[in-house]
Amino acid sequence: MHIPDGILPVSVAAAGFAGAGAVTWLSLRRIERTYPDPRAGVPRASLLTAVFFMASLVHVPVPPASVHLVLSGLMGVVLGWFAIPAILVGLFLQAVMFQHGGLTMLGVNACIIGLPALLANRVFALRRLLPARLATPGSAALAFLASFAAIAVGAAAAALLIVSTVPAHLDAAAERAATFTLLAAHVPLGVIEGVVTALVVLFLRRVDPGLLGEPRR
Amino acid sequence: MNTTTTHPAGAPKAISAAGLGFGYPGRGPVLEGVTIEAAAAERVGVIGPNGAGKTTLFMLLCGVLAPTEGTLEVFGATVEPGAFRPEIGMVFHHTNDQLICPTVREDIAFGPQNTGLLEEAVSARVHAAAAATGIAHLLDRTPHELSSGEQRLVAITGILAMEPRLLILDEPTSDLDLRYRRRLIRLIERMEGQTVIVASHDLEFILETCGRVLLLDAGRIQADGAPAEIMADEGLMAAHGLEVPHSLVATWHRHRGSGVDEHGDAAG
Amino acid sequence: MIARANPEAVRESSLTRWETRAKLIGLLCLVFAFASVRDTRLLAPMVLLSLAVFGLSALPARHLLSRLKVPGVFLVALAVVLPLFSGETVLAEAGPVALRLEGTLAFLSVAARFFSIVTLATVLFGTTPMPTLVRAMRSLGLPALLGDILLFTYRYIFQLAEDLHRARVAARLRGARFGSIRSVSTTAHIIGSLLVRSNWQAERVLAAMLLRGYGSARSLEVRRAPVARDVAALALCLALAAVFVLSPALIG
Repeated sequence: MHIPDGILPVSVAAAGFAGAGAVTWLSLRRIERTYPDPRAGVPRASLLTAVFFMASLVHVPVPPASVHLVLSGLMGVVLGWFAIPAILVGLFLQAVMFQHGGLTMLGVNACIIGLPALLANRVFALRRLLPARLATPGSAALAFLASFAAIAVGAAAAALLIVSTVPAHLDAAAERAATFTLLAAHVPLGVIEGVVTALVVLFLRRVDPGLLGEPRR
Repeated sequence: MNTTTTHPAGAPKAISAAGLGFGYPGRGPVLEGVTIEAAAAERVGVIGPNGAGKTTLFMLLCGVLAPTEGTLEVFGATVEPGAFRPEIGMVFHHTNDQLICPTVREDIAFGPQNTGLLEEAVSARVHAAAAATGIAHLLDRTPHELSSGEQRLVAITGILAMEPRLLILDEPTSDLDLRYRRRLIRLIERMEGQTVIVASHDLEFILETCGRVLLLDAGRIQADGAPAEIMADEGLMAAHGLEVPHSLVATWHRHRGSGVDEHGDAAG
Repeated sequence: MIARANPEAVRESSLTRWETRAKLIGLLCLVFAFASVRDTRLLAPMVLLSLAVFGLSALPARHLLSRLKVPGVFLVALAVVLPLFSGETVLAEAGPVALRLEGTLAFLSVAARFFSIVTLATVLFGTTPMPTLVRAMRSLGLPALLGDILLFTYRYIFQLAEDLHRARVAARLRGARFGSIRSVSTTAHIIGSLLVRSNWQAERVLAAMLLRGYGSARSLEVRRAPVARDVAALALCLALAAVFVLSPALIG
């Protein structure tokens, strides 16, 4: 889902940086207001970002090929507002170390991956509305939904951006076909991410619910 | 003390390595010219200083690394790097790397499940292995919450549940208190038919559990024989960065025949 | 297991001697100038300039090649879609499939920009160690929190790569087959375990850092002040960037 360098016009890249800058500034302010000492949260956020970075290098087989996990949904679920700076850092390192996603596209990618992460957090938060006996299956289902939605929204944003800004002189029907194809290609990824997030959430609920913001047993 | 049991001629050796060597490209060899034969049900200790190549040898034995020279067979079959052989069980030095499931029960079941057993058979294995290591009371706990000694026993149980014929232990006593260490010693003593190979800095442990010891240093086997003889040889041990274990010091003084009493003080 | 952003032996070159902030600003301006290139006459100069900068960096060619191999699904799709579906002028035809001029040029444009940007980015990060880079970015305005997270994460990644590798080896030795359906569950377990362990380890890491003064006022001074040569190189980059951005308007 990471958009590489060279495809989108520099105006879009600039808008991406503006958008990412605004969201990052907002999230840093939220963090400062929520945590008495935000610096104390740095090791935890960094180690978790590193885990996400590593996990996103994991190939999951999707015949005939395989995909990299993005884990935007899981990051949103576990990190909340810290997901924004974490995703920004993660994307920067992915671009710098592996050319996974472009440097000029850092802002754009941060928006299409970071904002859905926040959405995933809100979707997952709905589990507080569930009755106690549905807590476990409900958490798994919401985790799946949250991750799938994060991928779907991100893929839709990427597809729209590419189709509408690549100078291709395509007619309307071809544009629709191209958007649809790009979206369809991400459905398997969305399903896998949803399953992985649900399984990780179930694991964390049993082993360390504090990581999900739930009271420790 | 354990002795090598005799076997009918023709039974495949547990380990049969000839000229085994390994090195990373561009760097020098980590292991060279390693030739060993271990019979089934033997208990072999591997001692040596850090960096001698003990862990590399174990990685070759379980097929994680491919040898750059020589041959290696376990139970008569060449070790294929990457192939899954449940009869070879390796307990890692860092147990954290092995324990990945939310409960102890599930982690122990992980290996047997991957061998295609049905649920009842898996459950039977889990309970049998947990009973053998004495951790049945931990089955529903979370591995991450356990003490390091308990974690190590859980890791060993997980491997035992796969019913390996060759059990490889890498520094098994490194974070065990005396209680767990004694339990591990008793566990190994009670094993029948399983070949055990142990790498350890805990020389007393090797003395108590193994009938044969290999001294590995600089990637080569420097000595191979009875633990009491090799480990009492002060010159040999010192030459390879090791010390004679305490319980052999009296023996050592007797060998030297210098008339010292059992505390090592000059007599008279 | 993980290749560092800098290759194994960073060879001394004029790029490594260039003061970091000047290098950062100069190369990034060029990168964004390249991103704005639309005129096909500028493609060849852009690619040649990138190669020249790469040559100055003394980085090994395979370092760049390994990074160019990651074009992503989008680029490959564009390689098919653009030449075959975009544009009016047909260059060649084979049955229902027609190769079009505008689309082919559009794709070459994308490919040239991609190559040039990746080359410059590779030079920038290949000749600058991460701590130096972060210090330069902080002195140029990067928020402290982001700088800290970046540095910690970068340092921790290498240890974590080892942990992940060993966990997968241990799982494989117990019969897990990565690539099967069941391995999704194993992967989730490994991710979960790493998250839990990292979380608990983070508290100890923070305690150790606090004991060594983390969080107290620190100086941000960049180690070396820029000299005339650094500024001249920066000015050259800015001038070249301006040329690439403005020349279509000027030459018409």
